[in-house]
Amino acid sequence: MSILIDASTTAMVQGITGAQARFDTQWCLEYGSRIVGGVSPGKGGSMVHGLPVYDTMARACAAHEVDASILYVSAARVKDAVLEAIAAGVRLVVVTAEHVPVHDAAFVAALARQRGVRLVGCNTNGLISPGRSKLGGVGGMRPDDLYPIGGIGICSRSGGMMAEIGLALKAAGYGVSTSVAMGGDVVTGMRMADYVRLFQDDPDTHAIVLFGEPGTSNEEEVAELVRTGIVTKPVVALIAGQFQERYSAGQSFGHAAAIIGDGNGSASLKRQRLRDAGVSVAHALEDIPRWLEERGVPP
Amino acid sequence: MSALTEDVTKAQLAARGLPVPPGIVARSVQDARGSVTALAGDVVVKALVPIGGRGKAGAIRIAQDADARADATASLLGSDVRGHSVSAVYLEAKVDIAAEYFLCFTFRGDRPEVLASTQGGIDIEEVVRANPDACVTAPLDVVAGLAPWDAMEIWLRAGLSGPALPAVAAVTSRLYDAFRTCDALTLEINPLVVDRNGDVRIVGAMMAIDDAAAYRHPEWPSSTAGLSPNPRERAVEIANATRAGGEARYVELDGDIGLLVGGGGAGLYIHDLVLELGGRPANHCVTPPTSADDAKLKAVLRAIFGNPRVRGVLIGFNFAQMARTDIRVRALVEVIDELGVDTSRVPVVIRLFGAGEETSRALTSGLPNVHYVPRGTTLADAAALIVRLTAAAPQASAA
Repeated sequence: MSILIDASTTAMVQGITGAQARFDTQWCLEYGSRIVGGVSPGKGGSMVHGLPVYDTMARACAAHEVDASILYVSAARVKDAVLEAIAAGVRLVVVTAEHVPVHDAAFVAALARQRGVRLVGCNTNGLISPGRSKLGGVGGMRPDDLYPIGGIGICSRSGGMMAEIGLALKAAGYGVSTSVAMGGDVVTGMRMADYVRLFQDDPDTHAIVLFGEPGTSNEEEVAELVRTGIVTKPVVALIAGQFQERYSAGQSFGHAAAIIGDGNGSASLKRQRLRDAGVSVAHALEDIPRWLEERGVPP
Repeated sequence: MSALTEDVTKAQLAARGLPVPPGIVARSVQDARGSVTALAGDVVVKALVPIGGRGKAGAIRIAQDADARADATASLLGSDVRGHSVSAVYLEAKVDIAAEYFLCFTFRGDRPEVLASTQGGIDIEEVVRANPDACVTAPLDVVAGLAPWDAMEIWLRAGLSGPALPAVAAVTSRLYDAFRTCDALTLEINPLVVDRNGDVRIVGAMMAIDDAAAYRHPEWPSSTAGLSPNPRERAVEIANATRAGGEARYVELDGDIGLLVGGGGAGLYIHDLVLELGGRPANHCVTPPTSADDAKLKAVLRAIFGNPRVRGVLIGFNFAQMARTDIRVRALVEVIDELGVDTSRVPVVIRLFGAGEETSRALTSGLPNVHYVPRGTTLADAAALIVRLTAAAPQASAA
């Protein structure tokens, strides 16, 4: 088992004729992901990597059973492309674009939530259920180097740090059930707590590893799930960005969401909330497998 | 996030048919004197700076005839309002105020919400401090929007009733549309006024905008925030604004270890590590994803190596899943050469793994004191190495 995607998940690629989409799609196909086609308005009838290209999602979904869609459209086109995917009946939408206008992101996040559609991102490099499927650039050309099959569920605000967590876990003999980069923007579709709930319900996930950043209330919401006993599996969290507290409020140092001074949590506040709730807070990447061992999670 | 000045904010509201009093921007005393022909009667003269609390800061005057307008303008131009130098004033028809309200649309984290209070015209933070219930907040349904009847519920909760209620609610509903279509992150109306005729008027208006939406707002000033006075920060800002590709940012700090990081998660993590190990970062930065055009990356590299305080540099990136490492390392070597950096005096630690790594290692092999750490080295170990090497490096500056 895994969350969100498995070996049977069929996916469409919106914006498949772009360079990044072609590149990622090729490596997703190599990995065994069941990508069944793509959409590129005005290019219907052409082929990419042997996959049929359609002009609209409606036509793509009429020709195939489609569970998921991954979007490689530009930030300016994200809102329409997500609406099109939802209208076509897709249940999982993955948005890779960064710098999506906040009002557009808020709109598609709210609409997806109301329609029961799972929206990963914006600004994600994708998700992987090792040995089964991956959507997006996650893991690059050699996903096995970072994400061997195993029982750890990872949810990260950063795609790059997700890779580092994969490396640190692999070095200690741990593998991954599903690893998802939720996106580093202020507004995301699914929230960290949504992923944690899915991991809690997934029988093959034995423990959950999180990477968080300052800003937003994502990590605080996870703390609440653990504190109230809704999540009982061991959770280990690494929260970066404490240095920001030394500098003036409102200064953005990294991801758009990692802005302090908007009433949301600093790194040290988040660490405290998580620790108080019973989450193991790792200081460095190398501490994560140590915490897992301490919490009785075998490699 | 950038703040717009009042004239730009109000022009956008007026363009959407919202009730904004007529106003004129004056950049000189002559402009102010001449405003009487277009704008007769009492006017309010306001320093045009993108901050709130101008009344309390003494940056708002009342004037009528040309002489009074000229005097008020002369006293404001060139003055300093909370760190903002006044280069223009806004003259606006004075509204005959019967009641003043407060209204604000903003994002709390990722959720838009509305704040409303019947105690407007004064600092809302003081209002809330004195009486937390005086300001009502409500979440906004971004899919449904804010209908006039929903706005009436909010204002009823805030304590508004009678004939002003539907009028204020109607404007509130339209202001929410403006908040959305202007791509505002915050739209604050203080005061929102009902005048002696019972008409609603938008008297105080402030807007902070979402820079990511600039592509669809040609009406926004090209640079809403001033460029940094620091020449290295400014050079990166200019490169970021004028060159294609992803985002580049560079913020100088008071330490001596230059950090070239990708930004995002690893950038935050490495900065924490360096501090915890007793090192003092000289900057934080965001570098764009690698592309054929390395102009932005080089701008950041020039800033880092051009900073006279820098005594050591850490090139620390996540394990590259897609990008080619040699594009970054080639830019590094070229900038070191261009600036004549003597690496024997400025240690450089490179933690950069992925495609093109063999070429990358060959490119730096001839440089003294450049430590390309072996595969498998953790970010923590790379941070520890640069902290140690910098502590042992000579005191003289890099450039």
